[in-house]
Amino acid sequence: MDEQPGLSEQYRRASPWPLFIALGLPIAEIGVLFGLVPLAVGGLLLFVGSVAGIVQESGYVERPWNLLVGLGGVLVVLGGALALSQLTGGSLDGFVSALGSNGLVVRGVSIVIAGAIALGVGGVARFVETEPI
Amino acid sequence: MANGQIALTLLMGVLLVAVAAFLTRIEDWRSYTPLAGGGGGTAEESGYAHEEKPGGLIRWLTTVDHKDIGMLYGTYALATFTIGGLMVMIMRAELLDPAATLIESTTYNGLLTSHGITMLFLFGTPIIAAFSNYFIPLIIGADDMAFPRINAIAFWLLPPGALLIWAGFFVPGLAPAQVGWTMYAPLSVGVGAGTQSGAGVDLMLLGLHLTGVSATMGAINFIATIFTERAEDCTWANLDIFSWTILTQSGLILFAFPLLGSALVMLLLDRNFGTTFFAVEGGSPILWQHLFWFFGHPEVYILFLPPAGLISLILPKFSGRKLFGFKFVVYSTLAIGVLSFGVWAHHMFTTGIDPRIRGSFMAVSLAIAIPSAVKVFNWITTMWNGRVRLTAPMLFSIGTISNFIIGGITGVFLAAIPVDLVLHDTYYVVGHFHYIVMGVLGFMTFAGLYYWFPIFTGRMYQRTLAKWHFWLTFVGTQLTFFAMLLLGYLGMPRRYATYDFPIGPVDPVTALHQVATLGAFLIAIGFVIHVWNFVQSWSEGPILEDEDPWNLKEIGQYTREWEWHHRRMETAIADGGDEEVATDGGKESNEEELTTDGGENVSETDCSD
Repeated sequence: MDEQPGLSEQYRRASPWPLFIALGLPIAEIGVLFGLVPLAVGGLLLFVGSVAGIVQESGYVERPWNLLVGLGGVLVVLGGALALSQLTGGSLDGFVSALGSNGLVVRGVSIVIAGAIALGVGGVARFVETEPI
Repeated sequence: MANGQIALTLLMGVLLVAVAAFLTRIEDWRSYTPLAGGGGGTAEESGYAHEEKPGGLIRWLTTVDHKDIGMLYGTYALATFTIGGLMVMIMRAELLDPAATLIESTTYNGLLTSHGITMLFLFGTPIIAAFSNYFIPLIIGADDMAFPRINAIAFWLLPPGALLIWAGFFVPGLAPAQVGWTMYAPLSVGVGAGTQSGAGVDLMLLGLHLTGVSATMGAINFIATIFTERAEDCTWANLDIFSWTILTQSGLILFAFPLLGSALVMLLLDRNFGTTFFAVEGGSPILWQHLFWFFGHPEVYILFLPPAGLISLILPKFSGRKLFGFKFVVYSTLAIGVLSFGVWAHHMFTTGIDPRIRGSFMAVSLAIAIPSAVKVFNWITTMWNGRVRLTAPMLFSIGTISNFIIGGITGVFLAAIPVDLVLHDTYYVVGHFHYIVMGVLGFMTFAGLYYWFPIFTGRMYQRTLAKWHFWLTFVGTQLTFFAMLLLGYLGMPRRYATYDFPIGPVDPVTALHQVATLGAFLIAIGFVIHVWNFVQSWSEGPILEDEDPWNLKEIGQYTREWEWHHRRMETAIADGGDEEVATDGGKESNEEELTTDGGENVSETDCSD
């Protein structure tokens, strides 16, 4: 209340991130469920990027990049596990043919792609951006 | 296909670039909004919230202020109520005569499914969140919600959820889901020749999943807020009744909604990836009913308890007395919350489950009548010998009590196995639960909107129009839903687009359907009047200069949110304060004359005093 400012008075009253988290999640869900690779990749990127952004904005971390790398890593592991669970042999040919025939492999790979991009962006930005935000 | 992929990729790329560009453009907000982890340290000077907010549309897209988010929830819920209402008006018009004359039965099925899901998930939960977001922090003396950003995320998940749920209606090539709001397997798994295997159902399930995530985030936030953000003088002993009901409701959401989310994911896996959770040869369709109703019955109380809290909050204000048996109203709220998880199989009495299980669920279901009756008797006793002022919020509250008695007692009958075996899947059930969802939740929505209208608009609504709204809604509700109870006794099955039966009493069924449709149109006219009143009073009504439009000070019930309103009025810049206070509003009305000495009960123990 106005005459008794408490801790949460320090919070900013506006944040751009919630909207994009709420947009990223459904796009990612639709993309992964229907196997639409661009939507899955884009939605997941929007989601993990916004999560990293909002956590940084809230002051839980000083810079978002490590978190982005971590979230990207989680996606790579999850997507990889999904894709690998469907592959029987370790050959490249088997993988390519599974990409054409097995929807779960496509979905797994799309999650891996999103994770890899998040990993890459986070990893590079971590070193490029030296100035603390 | 390849072209489609390229187009999607481009579209997605453009969206991501646009998001990045938008984020860099608003970077300079940081100059006035310090960060806890970096940034400058001017936090203690933040002062009044509005000074910090960006202007225009951006303010509403980026706000994390609980009052703004409450307004967003409210706007959203009234929009979805309108859409869900339009859906049902088409259905009621179709039911005017026995044959399918206005719309196809498939369209009817789609509207029926969407009406249910829209009203429960897109209107019911959000309108409660609208009130609780705006007022709980004010009532308990918190600065904001415990997690303001999660609060915003929870709201922004809802519009995409709504679009997905309705996608079947407007996306070319998709058919709306026709599986009913209960989504019973095996139909919802996609078995059969209809449209149930189409992507329209998948999108609807995804949308429902999002609204579940949203409700869960909101619930966690309310629990954390009420536990940790209360003002020092707001203790558990004097916590107000509305906060108690929101706390209980949030607890129910926390246990119920994640289960719905999991069950929906299982259903999606069954539909798209060949799992057999709910297949006849796998986990069985009955598993779906168990999981769904373990969520679904608490959902009823998720939608009932906060409106009951609103009755307990509003009724004393216009009775001139404090709430009778406050402690027992709280205990009954908690009791209903606990019992609500032990009654789910009463929805499944006709599925052939073990009779011993049915017996125990019947007993617990009947037991819920006890705390419910405690509430009703306490409400009636609160008004007993009070100085009752029949303002619009009070009329809606009293109307709610009568609706709840009918809706509740028909529920007791349905809880009895032999009665349920006869009335299951008839209009009796539809009439029963509409007496609760429309008769209690709908009514108390309007009561809350009228009661707090002066706070969130700074103006007063038009009293005559509000009373027209009430009487049309009340009479319409009785006509529509009592006719449904009678239709159920006649054996009219629910969810049918036609009733052109070769046997049975078609004439009385037709007459009752016409009465129900007449009632529905009365409700719709009342709602149009409400919207007109709301919009016009908000935009053109004179500024209310009285900080106590309901004369709550006289009866010692000038609660904390009104004190906040008073302080805000004192700090606001006077713009147009030269106008007269509305003669159709609270202060100047004849309602006031009835209250000149209603102050004998001054010592209410709310922390909101």
